[in-house]
Amino acid sequence: MKLLRDQINRYLSPGALVILIIAIVAIIIAAVLPRRTAEGIPMWISAEPHFNAYKPFAREWNRRHPDRPINLVLLHGTAMERRMLSGFMAGTPVADIIEPNIGVAAKAFAGPLESVGFLDLTDHLREEGLLETINGPSFAPYTSRGRIFGLPHDVHPVLLAYRADIVEAAGIDVSQIETWEDYFRVLRPLMVDTTGDGRPNRYLLEAWHTNPHAPSIILLQAGGRLIDENERPALNFPRNAEVLARLITWMAGPDRVCVDIETYSASGHRQRLEGLVIGSLVPDWMAGSWKRENPALGGKLKLMPIPAWEKGGRRTSVAGGTMLGFSRNTEHFETAWAFAKELYLSPVLAEQMFRDTNIITPVTALWDSPIFDQPDPFFSGQPSGRLYIEQAPHVPRRPSSPYVVSGLERFINALAALRRYADRNQIYEEAALRIEAQRLLDEAQVEFERFINRNVFLAQEP
Amino acid sequence: MKATRLNLAPWLFLAPFLGIFCLFTVWPLLRSFILALQQTYGPGTTEWVGLHNFRYLLTDPLFWTAAANTGRFTLGSLFVQLPIALGLALLLNRPGLRGRGFFRLTFFAPSLVGLPFVAMLFAPILEKRTGLINATLHRLFPIWDPEFAWMQEYVMSSLILAALWMYAGFNMVYFLAALQNVSKDLIEAAEIDGANAWQRFRHVTLPEIAPIAGFVTLLSVIGSFQMFELSYILLNNTAGPENRGLTIMMYLYQSGFVVGDLGYASAIGWVLALTLMGIALFQRWAARRYEER
Repeated sequence: MKLLRDQINRYLSPGALVILIIAIVAIIIAAVLPRRTAEGIPMWISAEPHFNAYKPFAREWNRRHPDRPINLVLLHGTAMERRMLSGFMAGTPVADIIEPNIGVAAKAFAGPLESVGFLDLTDHLREEGLLETINGPSFAPYTSRGRIFGLPHDVHPVLLAYRADIVEAAGIDVSQIETWEDYFRVLRPLMVDTTGDGRPNRYLLEAWHTNPHAPSIILLQAGGRLIDENERPALNFPRNAEVLARLITWMAGPDRVCVDIETYSASGHRQRLEGLVIGSLVPDWMAGSWKRENPALGGKLKLMPIPAWEKGGRRTSVAGGTMLGFSRNTEHFETAWAFAKELYLSPVLAEQMFRDTNIITPVTALWDSPIFDQPDPFFSGQPSGRLYIEQAPHVPRRPSSPYVVSGLERFINALAALRRYADRNQIYEEAALRIEAQRLLDEAQVEFERFINRNVFLAQEP
Repeated sequence: MKATRLNLAPWLFLAPFLGIFCLFTVWPLLRSFILALQQTYGPGTTEWVGLHNFRYLLTDPLFWTAAANTGRFTLGSLFVQLPIALGLALLLNRPGLRGRGFFRLTFFAPSLVGLPFVAMLFAPILEKRTGLINATLHRLFPIWDPEFAWMQEYVMSSLILAALWMYAGFNMVYFLAALQNVSKDLIEAAEIDGANAWQRFRHVTLPEIAPIAGFVTLLSVIGSFQMFELSYILLNNTAGPENRGLTIMMYLYQSGFVVGDLGYASAIGWVLALTLMGIALFQRWAARRYEER
């Protein structure tokens, strides 16, 4: 023993000895700790509300099919994106079933069609009549070069949520509003300076030139586009310039009616609660997230269709989205497909998903469910589900592209540049701004096309 | 035979290090250079494009915007951060200063927390209306616009401010160590010769701390060129309005992992690495020239 101690003292200082002991103990603990072995066909989900809603279904499925169970795995969005793309590109292990959001899914379409990591579902969807069962525009973001790679989870129509308590207290009737012009004219008396500092303490719309949320929604509503039907860039589409110019008249100058509020932060929720803004563009999923994150707003809000860009125009838009895809290397497609259909076409799940998240199903046959007609206390007793469903068939199509995020960045940069131009030259008339908007978008289009044309794989496609 | 055995011995000892070095440094470097000459969609789908990525980079307006922003941030670090760090070190090096340990810890503490924490801290501080800076300024001077958009109008200045808070104390420690090695005899001799405080600093202290100052400058330049986390978190994974917060590292990340163009990202990485290598060589050359003088 003494000899051993002498030997240890000879070769190891006390510090090194401590490190060695810690290392040995850590190795032993790691070796003996029980390992969780996941059984079943893995399904990656990045949205926690979805994961929670699917759990009972997976349990029930596994009870009925003990020989082919499904294993739900909740991953952080970024982790799922990285693991999914690594799996598709480099062949690292990837789940058989994956539920990515719209931005992540599109990244899988950057390579040649035969290298897309998702299984092509076009023929299955056609043969089984699902193209008619599910709301048509919902497939568009998951379609690349004419092939469909995902089963849509949602529609995500957008409505305008407004502070009914403030509007009604002022005796304003919103039923007379049809267009954005009507909206700003009718609600203008609410923009008041209550503190006497010369600045309004209330604005009419939550939208800003540096936050893509509202501009992207309004762009689609107005019939603008970033990518055309042929999946090519369309930044300089004339309607886009019109949208840019009009947005600046709302966001800048002496007649400014918009305000910049952080979309998801606590301070943003507080400012909405304090009545800094009257109206916000709220997709169905955001209504659910407000209910969870800002319950104090309950009873103060009402929903209405988005004011139209022009008379007789579209009264909704679209924002966000999620799909269910299958790895092209899955060995369990039959089981995965059967589970996916049961999950996404289930009336029970559709109702539960609406209850938990306010998200309406894309399965048109389920839109008659009475759950969507129930009064929603958060929206002052309005049937929020029915209001969203009424607009669901009218959501604009969004052609897919792996470059849609880059396109939106360029559009928002053009908006910011136009704002700077307007302030510098004190020009706040739409007609005058439209010329500069078109010039900025033409410039952005050239650069965007050059950027996309770098992708030799897409260029090789017929 | 004996000679051969002797020659092999050092290589045998070096072998474990060389193996790891080649596997984790040389091979990835080589691979990234090959990648820079390709367009890829994963290793299975590659297309040889030669120097096209580098040619595109030279005419890519976004790359030059990123380079200009990175340059601005670097200049801010050099001409704002380092003088403040040196000033703090000079203050804390004054003999007889009470609470020296406390101040040292206070100034150094921000560098213990890491850039992501600093970014998380500054995000609410710089917010419109509810942010600490705007709310305080508006309360003190009602004319101040509480909607002043720091992260929209002054992106780079805001990033420099956040980095200053973190790194001024860190660089101060280097300067402090250098100042403590300045010979007191020389200072006293200069004092006896009638040199005033500025002359003592200019002609005695500064030459003595020049090697450390050069080293800190180089570290700051390299760190500034590699700035990523701060803008990534403060700008919420965007490049900011009109790309005003786009740095070279941010552009590299966006090209590789947002757009998925790993070949182009590798080309950007190589250009950045060669630029930094050039700066380091220039710094060495300049330091030698200074010593020779």
